[in-house]
Amino acid sequence: MLLFKRMKLVFCAAGLALLWVASALSAPRLTMPETAFDFGYVPQNATVSHVFWLYSTGDDTLKILSIKTG
Amino acid sequence: MLAVGDSTRLEIIFHTKRYKSKITKRPSIQTNEGPPNKHVQIISQVTDRPDSTYPIIIQPYKLDLSQFSEKVIKKKKFMITNASDQKLEISLISMPDDLFKIKLPKSIKPGKSAKGELVLRSEAYGDSFEKSITIEVVGVKDKEATRFSIPVKRSLHVAKITSPQKPGSEKKKTP
Repeated sequence: MLLFKRMKLVFCAAGLALLWVASALSAPRLTMPETAFDFGYVPQNATVSHVFWLYSTGDDTLKILSIKTG
Repeated sequence: MLAVGDSTRLEIIFHTKRYKSKITKRPSIQTNEGPPNKHVQIISQVTDRPDSTYPIIIQPYKLDLSQFSEKVIKKKKFMITNASDQKLEISLISMPDDLFKIKLPKSIKPGKSAKGELVLRSEAYGDSFEKSITIEVVGVKDKEATRFSIPVKRSLHVAKITSPQKPGSEKKKTP
């Protein structure tokens, strides 16, 4: 009976440790298949646009904190 | 916030102003991934002579689908002239598929012109936007690729239709 209780305690501790390690190792990751775009010739006084796709490929939620124009 | 496995679009809008050279912009994206920040880069060759570019000349070099009456401007034609001495192959690189469709000639012989056509999708009839189409031309002899972007603008200038007043809802004039 005592052995059973000890084993239960060990398994619980191991489970908690695994959860802690998993949460410590999980990280957000931003993946962009395309990072550069060439418009080529563009006339003056005009607006052009291009869409880049952002993917969350980590194992934690990705937060986009800011986007600054270059 | 992007959940694991989700995606989102980042639209970079660039106004060419009075630039007259090669312009590179490098917006940075800061996330909770930590430093260093990630970047996207756009490159453009802004020209003050869009009517004399090489190896093609696009006329008109800007497309305007703006609406000033109830009639929807659904199509815009443009002409692509091959100003080089070799056959050019034309391909579409980028455009907003949700707003319009485009018809492009596959190739143009030297010194010849061919028509292109932009067709507004019915889903975009109520939209105002400033977008662009990017095409690439490749010379069949030298295999040199050159890109051109055609700005496409649409703004709605139609007065709002007011619903007629219900009978009896008019205010009575006091004597």
